[in-house]
Amino acid sequence: MRDNNYFYRRLFEMIPGFLTWLTLGSLFIFAFIKPLWVAIFVITFDIYWVIRVGYLTLLLLFAYRRLEKAKKIDWLKKCEGAGTQYGLQLSDLYQAVLFPIYKEDFSVLNQSLSAIEQANYSKEKIIIVLSVEERGGDAVWENASRLLEKYSASFFKFIITKHPDGLPNEMQFKGANATWGAKVLKDFVDSKKIDYEKIVISCFDADTCAEREYFSCLAYHYITNPRRTRSSYQPIPVYNNNIWQARSIARILELGASFMQMIETMRLEKFVTFSSHSMSFKTLVDIDYWPVDMISDDSAIYWKCFLHFNGDYSVMPMYVTVSMDVATEKGVLDTMVKQYKQKRRWAWGVENFPYVMMGFLHNDKIPISKKLRRAFHLLEGHYTWAVWAIIVTFIAPLPLIFGGGLFRQTAIGYNLPSVSATLFRVSLFTLGTCIFITMRLLPPRPSGVKPQKMIVLILQWFVSPLVAAVLGSTPAIDAQTHLMLGKYIVHFNVTKKSREK
Amino acid sequence: MQKSDRIKRAIAFYVSVVLFFITLPIVLSYSLGYKIDFIALKIYKTGILYINSRPSGASIYIDGNKFRDVTPAQIENMRPGTYKVEVRRQGFYPWEKDLEVLPNMVTRADKIILFPVTQEMNRVSDYPITDFMISEKSGIYYLTRDGLFRSNFDGGAFKRLSAYSDWPSQIMGKKISPDNNKFLYFTKTNIFIAYLNPDNSIAEEPELARIEEIFVSRSRIVDVFWYSDSGYIIVVTEREIKAVELRGGKSRNVVTLFKFNSKPKGLYYDEYNDSIYFSDNSVMDIPSGAAPSSENYLYRLDLRQKFLDSLKQLLMKKETGDIDEG
Repeated sequence: MRDNNYFYRRLFEMIPGFLTWLTLGSLFIFAFIKPLWVAIFVITFDIYWVIRVGYLTLLLLFAYRRLEKAKKIDWLKKCEGAGTQYGLQLSDLYQAVLFPIYKEDFSVLNQSLSAIEQANYSKEKIIIVLSVEERGGDAVWENASRLLEKYSASFFKFIITKHPDGLPNEMQFKGANATWGAKVLKDFVDSKKIDYEKIVISCFDADTCAEREYFSCLAYHYITNPRRTRSSYQPIPVYNNNIWQARSIARILELGASFMQMIETMRLEKFVTFSSHSMSFKTLVDIDYWPVDMISDDSAIYWKCFLHFNGDYSVMPMYVTVSMDVATEKGVLDTMVKQYKQKRRWAWGVENFPYVMMGFLHNDKIPISKKLRRAFHLLEGHYTWAVWAIIVTFIAPLPLIFGGGLFRQTAIGYNLPSVSATLFRVSLFTLGTCIFITMRLLPPRPSGVKPQKMIVLILQWFVSPLVAAVLGSTPAIDAQTHLMLGKYIVHFNVTKKSREK
Repeated sequence: MQKSDRIKRAIAFYVSVVLFFITLPIVLSYSLGYKIDFIALKIYKTGILYINSRPSGASIYIDGNKFRDVTPAQIENMRPGTYKVEVRRQGFYPWEKDLEVLPNMVTRADKIILFPVTQEMNRVSDYPITDFMISEKSGIYYLTRDGLFRSNFDGGAFKRLSAYSDWPSQIMGKKISPDNNKFLYFTKTNIFIAYLNPDNSIAEEPELARIEEIFVSRSRIVDVFWYSDSGYIIVVTEREIKAVELRGGKSRNVVTLFKFNSKPKGLYYDEYNDSIYFSDNSVMDIPSGAAPSSENYLYRLDLRQKFLDSLKQLLMKKETGDIDEG
């Protein structure tokens, strides 16, 4: 059985990378030997892609409207008496916020905690847990101690704990640290004899600044959800903390990630937790916390719940934002390297595919149709991520380059550039929408930033296909190839979060 | 997700699917060169004609029918076959050709030059001339009965450079030197050089140009070329190839580089590599006793820097013999 498990796991690990390489490789080869076929494929793919992007843009607009509507809601007021019929009152609810920390600066954490302190939610019902990696060094622990001193009086409880390095079965990943912090929290909760279901826990990245309404909004969704323990609660991540200072390349990618997350809120059948999110503490304890050996802990926790509850688990979108840092550096090249590493870590979420497939193999209670649907969505998401921008940007011109004079004399060889250009013009609608939403989501321009920067923020979108190809698809191919070859990423490449003083 | 959002999303999804299946065959068939006749419900293979001209903006006639666009124009959905295509623009000679349109292919006629009917023609100078010479660097030189004159390319700044007027009646060829400071002209047996910037500081009446006969050949001159340093000329006669040094006045050096077995038929001077290509029916080294071949062969004589070095050595060894007086 063990051998079978190994065989299937390796098989599922190979599938995404194999499909990606098969697609790109065969397109490249056929561009030489059958340029006509590739040209037909490219046109078909371009049409599919333009229509798909148009469809997703509509979903983005729907989500944006929901976000705008939600901004006008006084969630705290809405909570009053709302949970009575669902057996949980606001007054009984505690909120825990867990920050797994590695080496983040004091200023980064201070800003995140300050945001929580300013929330329009009773601080007496909020528990803060700073789980500090032991290997992060003494300076981080000292920062945590300073924060404890500064904020302990503001909250119901402020816990700092040190996650020992090298515990059995753990990898040096964030999920291991988060699990440690959650277990410390459990000890505290047990000592206070609080019902786990009456605690909703948010696992935040160190730089996550919650919107003022975040905890009220979360509380409302939690207490009014009759199946509150069978849901995760996902806010919209935005990258506003340093967006005005960030490099355009980094900004496009992070905004793209925000937009994709907004779109996903409209596609609940494939919605998965991402980055900072919340869930019932009871659920977290029931499923035995985050996986301690997976990099993509944010999405893996969802799949762990999904398998644990035999497919009866979902993610509830919350139209409220949490703001994080754009991964940027002063130089363009350094920014590209930083973005590449961060995106590769995100793309390593492809490890969920073998994890979920193995779970499906051993679970007879999830309906087969649901298994197929979810497996397809998961695979398609990672496959598309890896190939689309490469096809649109690099594969599309290949038939003309390698097809030779005879191909260029054919009608399709002659028409290919103009058809592609027309389809690209159609997709300008999407660019326009992205520019519009970017402008609306932007925080006010800081005093030190010139007004001309606004022009850069608009023009940056016109290089997005190229940026997507270089820093979108390539890290995904890199991650899938590593997984396919069994060369696992065993070191969690933390994106350094620090502020300029 | 709210119910209204679900409905809107479902509508958007199904519209997208329908749009894809409608757009795909239309765009693909257009790209491949097919035309769909929706009334007859038939698909035809077509070809494309691409016409462009210089100048652009010319009218296009296909089998006598005027096309709606002017050049450059892409004429699509053409049934395969041969068409009489005319490109016309007022004030220009028309262009006309039978072009074949092939199915799913593009026929290009995109390098059409339309020549103007009335070309612009001006008399550059009112001065009667015997001959003239053009230097890209310094302008036009006029060989007249009253001397050598120069003007710019519009005929302006007309000026006499020299009173010399003894121009031969039959000039066989003329060439400006690579340094643009002199030109040569030659007759059947004589070669002349016009120095355009001579050093006349000691002359009583300094002239701006000086003409000098530098070589008289015993056999008929076929062609003369400038050596790249502008200090030598390569003279090809019906019998020999010679190098003539310009410096030295009466004692200038002349070297015979090659003697033909027969009158050369083909001749080409590669001015970038200072090599001369010619045909001859001899071989370089005929074995003793062997009969000369009657076939012509192409030869190349390399006159690059090593030629100059060997020439210097030759000149040091020889005072007479192959060295003639010019």
